[in-house]
Amino acid sequence: MICTAAPGKRSLALALLAAASLLAGCAAGVTSSGPGPTPITVVVSGPSTDRLGMTAQFTAAVTGTSNTGVIWQVNGVTNGSASTGAISTAGLYTAPSAMPSPTAVTITAVSKASASSAGSLTLNLQNPFPTISGATATQAGSSLNYAVDIIGSGFVPGSIINAGGTAQTTTYVSATELQATVAVASGTTSINLSVTNPNPGGSTSATTKVSITFYTTTATAAARLLDQATFGPTMTDIQHVQQVGLSGYLQEQFAQPTTPLASIPTSPLPAVCLSANNPTVCEESEWWTTAIRGPDQLRQRVAFALSEMFVVSTQGNSGASIPQFHNALANDAFGNFSKIMKDVALSPAMGGYLNMLNSAVAAAGQIPNENFARENMQLFTIGTAMLNQDGTPQLDGSGNPIQPYTETQIQAFAKAYTGWTYATSTGASPTKFPNKTVNFDYPMAAVESAHDTTSKALLNGTVLPAGQTAEQDLDGALGNIFNHTNVGPFVCKQLIQHLVTSTPSPAYVTRVAAVFANNGSGVRGDMKAVLTAILTDQEARAGDTNASYDGGHLREPILFLTAMIRGLGFTNTDVNGSFYSLSNQSVKLGEEPYRANSVFNFFPPSYVIPDSTINAPEFGIENTATATLRQSLADTIVSNKISGFTVDLSATSALGTQAATPATLVTTLSTLLMHSQMPSNMQTAIISAITPLTSNAQRVRVALYLVITSSQYKIIH
Amino acid sequence: MRIQRRGFIKYASLAAAGNLAGLRPFGALNALAQGTDYKALVCVFLFGGNDANNMLVPYDTAGYANYAALRTAGGSSIALPQASLLPLTPLPNYALHPNLPDVQTLFNSGTAALVANVGTLIQPLTRTQYLAGTKAPANLFSHPDQQEEWQNASQDGAVATGWAGRVSDLLTGTYNASATIPMVTSVDGDTLFCNGVSTTPVSVSPGNVGGASCSVGSECTARQTAAQSLITFNSGISLVTADDKITSNAYNYSAVLTAATKSVTPLKTVFPTGNPLASQLQQIAQIIQVRAALGVQRQIFFCGVGNFDTHAGQLNLQASLLAQVSPALAAFYAATQEMGVQNQVTSFTMSDFARTFQPNSNTGTDHAWGSHHIVMGGAVNGGKMYGTFPTLALGGPDDSGSNGRWVPTTGSVQYAATLAQWFGVPANQLATVFPNIGSFASNNLGFV
Repeated sequence: MICTAAPGKRSLALALLAAASLLAGCAAGVTSSGPGPTPITVVVSGPSTDRLGMTAQFTAAVTGTSNTGVIWQVNGVTNGSASTGAISTAGLYTAPSAMPSPTAVTITAVSKASASSAGSLTLNLQNPFPTISGATATQAGSSLNYAVDIIGSGFVPGSIINAGGTAQTTTYVSATELQATVAVASGTTSINLSVTNPNPGGSTSATTKVSITFYTTTATAAARLLDQATFGPTMTDIQHVQQVGLSGYLQEQFAQPTTPLASIPTSPLPAVCLSANNPTVCEESEWWTTAIRGPDQLRQRVAFALSEMFVVSTQGNSGASIPQFHNALANDAFGNFSKIMKDVALSPAMGGYLNMLNSAVAAAGQIPNENFARENMQLFTIGTAMLNQDGTPQLDGSGNPIQPYTETQIQAFAKAYTGWTYATSTGASPTKFPNKTVNFDYPMAAVESAHDTTSKALLNGTVLPAGQTAEQDLDGALGNIFNHTNVGPFVCKQLIQHLVTSTPSPAYVTRVAAVFANNGSGVRGDMKAVLTAILTDQEARAGDTNASYDGGHLREPILFLTAMIRGLGFTNTDVNGSFYSLSNQSVKLGEEPYRANSVFNFFPPSYVIPDSTINAPEFGIENTATATLRQSLADTIVSNKISGFTVDLSATSALGTQAATPATLVTTLSTLLMHSQMPSNMQTAIISAITPLTSNAQRVRVALYLVITSSQYKIIH
Repeated sequence: MRIQRRGFIKYASLAAAGNLAGLRPFGALNALAQGTDYKALVCVFLFGGNDANNMLVPYDTAGYANYAALRTAGGSSIALPQASLLPLTPLPNYALHPNLPDVQTLFNSGTAALVANVGTLIQPLTRTQYLAGTKAPANLFSHPDQQEEWQNASQDGAVATGWAGRVSDLLTGTYNASATIPMVTSVDGDTLFCNGVSTTPVSVSPGNVGGASCSVGSECTARQTAAQSLITFNSGISLVTADDKITSNAYNYSAVLTAATKSVTPLKTVFPTGNPLASQLQQIAQIIQVRAALGVQRQIFFCGVGNFDTHAGQLNLQASLLAQVSPALAAFYAATQEMGVQNQVTSFTMSDFARTFQPNSNTGTDHAWGSHHIVMGGAVNGGKMYGTFPTLALGGPDDSGSNGRWVPTTGSVQYAATLAQWFGVPANQLATVFPNIGSFASNNLGFV
């Protein structure tokens, strides 16, 4: 390294200087050119490179005068400038934040003793070192593309994000933020990220590893499926479904074993029952607990739907009869529909409710009890009119509906169902009829002496021959109904209405009914295939990508409450662990588990909204009175006043901390409760309503209330 | 005619003016209401199919013996003991169920009437015609169908309106032009009876006419304002729009009812407790009490009580239900007397159907057809039985088959048309409300 300052050879010295300063650490000086005995010389020393935004210290050696002060300049400007860098009176240079052009600047020290005496040095500016302090990778929709966002320092226009060592098209946001969209290979679980700054002074940051989650499914599709197939979405479940996909989730749920309702012990009842002698309190607590906490969400949700089709009620039945009945529905939810029919028929709950229990062969002067015989066809399987496979009624030549069975046929079925009573404590047939020892834990058992053994003329020309046993007649009768062409469209339409939409198109019903008729392997009544067809149908999924797709159904009060408890994360605080207090809330709105007013459920499947032609069953309990009561229930929820439960909606809760930014809170509520599809005008209205509130807890309460009382939320769509 | 929002505003400003002037808010209005034209119909629906065969029973020796014999079989009986029956002074050959003492009193004093063997019919029908296939109502013996046919007054074919709703369509403009709530009020939830073509009912939960609760006072205004703005957004989702409409009505009606009932002095009439039907009728009485404040001259109310589907153990079950009905009706009539409107309020029962006269094998009865009903009120020509009591014979002249399912001798549409005419439907407009009334010889049974 050579540094030269030769008096009298200025031009040469400058040329040398220029060459030398490409190297580091030189000092350079220039003599004054004036005549005189003692020439004043200024020699500047300092680094030859500096990075943007960094400082560099320069010194000036002045000889030939006692006044050694200098004035510092950058590119001839005293004290420098923002674009070329500033220099202090002490020679401390601060590089600019952006690269000037040209990229080299001249640092000059001018003698205060002689303005004509100065020394200079060329300083080459370089880009800063990039550093990464944090990075996120967010999946775009359900694709393999991730939006990478890097936070750090030292970024410049031209900085490049490297993902796995490969340069990406990079968007410069600021000196502290860069973005890029990174495509990953299927199965990728993390991305190694670094940032390279360009020349001059090009360099690459250390590598940061960011984990990525591959979601096969959008949050919207995941949340919509969860509203259709469970007792309400949670953030955890939404993310899980996003990962495993809709069909993956259904497969998981089909594999989940039943969470059974515990049978109610004989009195005195345990503490969780809250009452020593009312088994209904205990049974309802069990039901809520299972619905809310059971991992077999789809199974329990389908069992709930089935319980609103095959209706039994503790207004008439002991609550102790419910667990065996409910567990049969849950166990059979993914089995065959014919099994559901038989298990329902033989359950002591249905037996007691519609009087097949202890229905004996009629004595002279009596008729056999028609109750179950009629409703099993009218309400559970066939309906009151012959149906097309699309669920619409067939019409005769005069345009009238066609009755599928006669009063005489109902009486024949009534005879076929005679002879059943409570089983013994081991589930066997008792010796006498009726058996008055109550047994709710086993299916009913037959006593042949009480069975009507005459022949019975059933539907479609089927005749049960005389002399059959009670079970042979039961199987024959239920099989005769199961094979009736109405059952597919009748049952499938109602399942669709309970799970997905009040208003399925005839084509949707047809598609599902076809699966009911044949699962593809020649099996009729395969519930797993039927449920898959219902939940994956194009009409069920259209709303995943079209927020204004017209469909859906009213969130009935029980599902409203379970969605709140699950979604908001209420925890049980009852000293006995009872969930019964939820019944005290839902009953105000006309629903209490297994406690409908009649066999026609809480609302009739045929209900048409007044002043419209829309068949929407749940609206059978939606009116000006219950709409108001639901608002009061929402107030109870957001005020954390559900007895026996608690939820943290305070300023320090997860939602409370988000409430500092109203838009953030509203976005979260949209994701959790409204399938990430809250309309923008609704978002704006809620943000406007809560922004003036200074307490974040108030913001949470008001925003939540507005969401859950909105018709947009009440209608699951 | 729909209730116009204009009407609500008009009422609200009137009430506000009264308050500003320091007047007792409703005293003046009540004074104005004295002598005004007011009438109300109150439907008491006995859900499930009341076994009227055990509500109104032959009491003469031969009649009772026939009744008891046919209702006894296989070693058990559902016949009521003769000594337990409640005799009817003006109608000595018949008696009431032992748990209807108040109805007995009202009947004997001329305030209640009985209408025998009423049921759904499209046109007059005999057993012979029915068995020969003459057109009968659709889906006889089916609960939901027969409930709806009673409520829509037996029109030929399914319709989406009930006869109270259609009366409301016709008369709202005439009588309730400045009313702040609809003509029809249900205190027992949604039901076809109440729905019109152009009018929909208000639903009220008994004891709770007001708006939603709000726990934190400082949040209520902001919350309410925003909530009411949300229902105005057009979503494009049909059910969201439908629910917005119900919610909007709920806001309006609860505000009106809250204001009207806020400072009213409770009626002194004591209603039975632990009796849901009584609670419903008490709520109806309270609304009638504030009729002037609501601007209504005509009102139709719907209430109901269930579990009449007595397929097994009928004696105890029906007895417990009628034990609710009797004192509830009595208290309601007393309340109308207290308000001085007993001649302006007429109550009547409806039910899905009667039940088989022949018992089944579970000491119960199954679904049947023609039934007996009670009409009550000061305007009722009481102490009489209207219609024709059926011949109690299995396979007899009134049996649609062989189990004692009576072919009605009076159509439920005639029953409804009689009530509607008293209420104010002009004879020349009856067919608007009851399209098939012309198929019957009489459109007025004369009981009121």
